[in-house]
Amino acid sequence: MNKGFIRAISTSEIASGGMKAVELDGSEIVICNCGGKYYAIQRRCGHMNAPLDLGTLDGIYLTCPMHCAQFDITNGEALSGPVPTDTGQEIPPPSLGRYLQNIGMLINHVRTESVRTYPTKIEDGWILIRL
Amino acid sequence: MSLCQVNMESRKKSLHYFYEKVVVPLGFKFTPDNEMMNFLLEQEVILEGRHGIPFCPCQPLRNDRTCDMQIVCPCIPFHRKHFDDIKRCWCGLFVHKDVLDPDKLPQLPPKEVKNE
Repeated sequence: MNKGFIRAISTSEIASGGMKAVELDGSEIVICNCGGKYYAIQRRCGHMNAPLDLGTLDGIYLTCPMHCAQFDITNGEALSGPVPTDTGQEIPPPSLGRYLQNIGMLINHVRTESVRTYPTKIEDGWILIRL
Repeated sequence: MSLCQVNMESRKKSLHYFYEKVVVPLGFKFTPDNEMMNFLLEQEVILEGRHGIPFCPCQPLRNDRTCDMQIVCPCIPFHRKHFDDIKRCWCGLFVHKDVLDPDKLPQLPPKEVKNE
């Protein structure tokens, strides 16, 4: 019945609308509580590997804390790529400007991929995840 | 250009979710014209893919961040007086919550709005 499922954490450890990062058999996973329904997705953003549990969960939509890429936690689908950041009006020192330009050029080549999701089930107040 | 393969319907659905949370407290709602709503949301997804931000599809970008950020959808807070007067936002994606027939609302620029 529970073949392949691993006990992760107690349901009481995540409030509704909250997230919690866990590590199961070497896999980094974020468990999300969406109104009492639990979803598990890979912890690393499909854009630049930022920890998604530090982002924002709104309904079934998770926004990455680094560049605001968004994902659907029910299926891991990438909904948007990074949002351009505001570097402000102030002109940075030339060395920093060149560095930022280089980073910006590299980021422009980074593809935003969907993230992996994991089946979950609840049993005796525990969230079980199948890797 | 975004390197993210976005599913059009999924993104439209998520934009709808987020926009509703912003516009409803402002006294607006999505236009009851579903065809128009879908068309405008689709254009925004395309603009988001191009610029990384879902700008209003009916207003020009000026390559000036301060100006351009004022047309990020939903742009109602930046044009509140004007949109309250015409009971719709500029592109018509949102209308005042009491509007039933959006076709009766002309797209008037601020200087043509007659204030009573």
